[in-house]
Amino acid sequence: MPADLLNGFRVLDMGSGISAPWCAKILADYGAEVIKVETPGSGDLARRMGPFAGDDPNPEKSLTFLYLNTNKKSVTLDPSSVSGRKLLHRLVADADALVENYPPSVSKELGLDYASLSAVNPGLVVTSIAPFGQTGPYHDYQATDIVTYALSGLMYHSGDSDQPPLRNVLDQSFYVAGANGAAATQIALFARLSSGEGQHVDVSAAECLGAHLVQPLPYYNYMGAVKGRRPVRGAGFEELMPARDGYVAPSVQGSRPWEVIANLIGLEELLDEKFSTGAGRVAHGEELKELLTKGLAQWDRMPLFLASGEARLVFGMAQDAGDLVNCPHLEARDFFVEVDHPVVGQAKYPGMAVRLPGEPLTASQPAPLLGQHSSEIFVQELGYSAEDLVSLRQLGVI
Amino acid sequence: MPPALSEQAPLKNIRVLDLSRVFAMPFAGANLADLGAEVIKIDTCQTQFMDTTRTITGPFPDNEPGERWWEQGGTFQNLNRGKRSLTLDLRNEESQQIIKDLVSICDVVLENFTPRVMARFGLDYASLKAYKPDLIMVSNTGYGHSGPWSNFGAMASALEPTHGTGAFMGYMEPGPEGRLVEGDVPNKMGNSYSDFLASWTALGALMASLLRRSRTGQGQWIDLAMYQTGTSVIGTGLLDFAFNDRRTQRIGNRHPFLSPHGVYRCQGHDQWVAIAARDDADWVAICRAIGQPELTSDARFADPIARRQHQETLDEIISAWTSGQTSYQVTETLQTAGLPAGAVLTAKQALTDPQYIERRFFETVHNPPEVELRDKGYVGRGWKFSKSEARIKGPAPQLGEANEYVLGELLGVDQTRMKAFAEDWTIGNLPEGGGAPGSVPLDEQVEIGSIVAYDADYLNLLQSE
Repeated sequence: MPADLLNGFRVLDMGSGISAPWCAKILADYGAEVIKVETPGSGDLARRMGPFAGDDPNPEKSLTFLYLNTNKKSVTLDPSSVSGRKLLHRLVADADALVENYPPSVSKELGLDYASLSAVNPGLVVTSIAPFGQTGPYHDYQATDIVTYALSGLMYHSGDSDQPPLRNVLDQSFYVAGANGAAATQIALFARLSSGEGQHVDVSAAECLGAHLVQPLPYYNYMGAVKGRRPVRGAGFEELMPARDGYVAPSVQGSRPWEVIANLIGLEELLDEKFSTGAGRVAHGEELKELLTKGLAQWDRMPLFLASGEARLVFGMAQDAGDLVNCPHLEARDFFVEVDHPVVGQAKYPGMAVRLPGEPLTASQPAPLLGQHSSEIFVQELGYSAEDLVSLRQLGVI
Repeated sequence: MPPALSEQAPLKNIRVLDLSRVFAMPFAGANLADLGAEVIKIDTCQTQFMDTTRTITGPFPDNEPGERWWEQGGTFQNLNRGKRSLTLDLRNEESQQIIKDLVSICDVVLENFTPRVMARFGLDYASLKAYKPDLIMVSNTGYGHSGPWSNFGAMASALEPTHGTGAFMGYMEPGPEGRLVEGDVPNKMGNSYSDFLASWTALGALMASLLRRSRTGQGQWIDLAMYQTGTSVIGTGLLDFAFNDRRTQRIGNRHPFLSPHGVYRCQGHDQWVAIAARDDADWVAICRAIGQPELTSDARFADPIARRQHQETLDEIISAWTSGQTSYQVTETLQTAGLPAGAVLTAKQALTDPQYIERRFFETVHNPPEVELRDKGYVGRGWKFSKSEARIKGPAPQLGEANEYVLGELLGVDQTRMKAFAEDWTIGNLPEGGGAPGSVPLDEQVEIGSIVAYDADYLNLLQSE
């Protein structure tokens, strides 16, 4: 059972890839009924994105697709055909929100622009997510995650100062855009409670990331300073440092006296007075880094992390996918959900980011097969006959 | 001064009590203020307990903390724009009672104390719900309010590797025969990435809760663990472990399937451009755009599989072409050819970037003269509404500017009590104890690497654009 927060809302997910599907998944996890509207034949682009379960490039086995589309239904229709558009309008008439991430020029061609859709349902909230939004000189720019991250101004600050700017492999721009899209869609639904009207929400992935510039921006417009990537010099705190079985992130933050940190790491030389202030740690950075390296080499990641937490320090540790899937803390919080999919079988999927005490945990309906719910929605809800479906299929509309 | 409200502000009737500090929840609160909510920030006169963005984060105008330094921090201003400020001293019971009284007339509470602290203050959700049965509250912590790590503190910089993003981020390392291989050292998005994931997640969860409250009258407690927020955005990687037993992927800026894909050096100091080929058609277009059409028939680059095998050679060819041009020139040439390419902008470049300018992303804020801040641009948000209003409503509040309004007008505290509060520094407009934070000269900051460079004439540079 899904959470009840958005019970009664119906959302059409016309998205493909990551940003709009992630937006719609967040809404689905809060309890909205989400119907994916996919292109007949090929479906959501994510169905062709690797990696795949068992490295088998089958459109029902894309791991990105499987993750981003749990708790949704799927119908297929071709919005560029006359009959397909008629079907779409029937769906639009009953929906509260529609989320899409076609390139701006394409969404107009397909009749997914706000003017066309609001003529069918004036109460509809239409959320369009694009790398640079619907307007401005870059609105038709071609973009992937790395290009969006670059032009947002955020990528410049990722990585090491003596190396090129660095991205995360897992397309983070589009997750940030999707999370923003979910918030903005709901804000528009909330506004509808008093206005009675829907509206268009124009989400720019680059701007969602640009909003993170709350430090680099004032560095420049307050004092002309260009903030860059993390310096490679320094004492090793707030950095990834080798421990015995991997990397840890020792931290001086957390407002605890230096001796607590020195005692935790457990190397007597660290107790030297000269390391006890921030200025002292900068001045004696190299020496401190050497001692820190020596101290951390006696620790495994987890015991150090736990001892830091007990000492009210805020050390981190580098965890990989296996560590997280087997994390006792996440297990105690019921974070992972068992999802059973007809093609790939059962696995532990990450659940909702938030815990909502009193609400059911993350629902565990598997991602839909392409067009799995076409007859349920078209026949049972919209009143098409089984014969109608056959003729639509022959026309290639569904 | 209360911000002017428009009928089109979606949250115009919502009042928010913002007990939060530092980045994540204060920024969520700032976004609520942009949407028209009345957001009351709980401040304190006791310098040692102040929000650290008021005290040490900076940056200060021209790197000089002014006479009223606690109002001036640039990051503080970005994160707290449009809010009101009430000072209290949460260590005393009277202040704790005022919070409870205030909760009874608020819709939303934001806080990011550890569970231990909130319980000690008697401000946990169960206690506050008694004052406001349909209260919606976000408790943002590193690890959440349940589970064995629930009392552990956390900061974004150390949390990021813990929540696993570092498993999918890292430079490649030299391997056999001059080839680069997957790296061992995790890296970080940096720039407090985890904090912002929490801001956006909180905003979404709050709106879902407000929509439900309007339907059923129920409140909601939102137990937001930044550890989980960070883990939820790497779902593909976690499923790759579940199905294929893969644990990490540290391949620099390369793509597991596409090629070429990376950032390439351009003219100027530390200037780069990102380029990605999505398919073979893009590859052909790249060859033509860089004036080397003969590469399209080079067997080493015939398809993405071959190109990934010869990525080092390919990157050299592309770098040789980009390095003589500015990142904007490369962007323009490749985008004109229909290719995904984009300059890696610094914040300086972002401030004058045509896309950001045309969409009015940076919003100018005017501070009153006593704060001694010139009018400047602040970050907006990544969404525009065709009808609703979302804009920065005003500057960050001066310390305790709403003491009279909140205590006197909203809660009816009488003047005698107000006087007593002022005498023991529970309320006030000045910091108690501690002086202005020090500032490190910009030359020295360049030297230690905390900044790349600085422009002494930045004001003219920004104006001339």
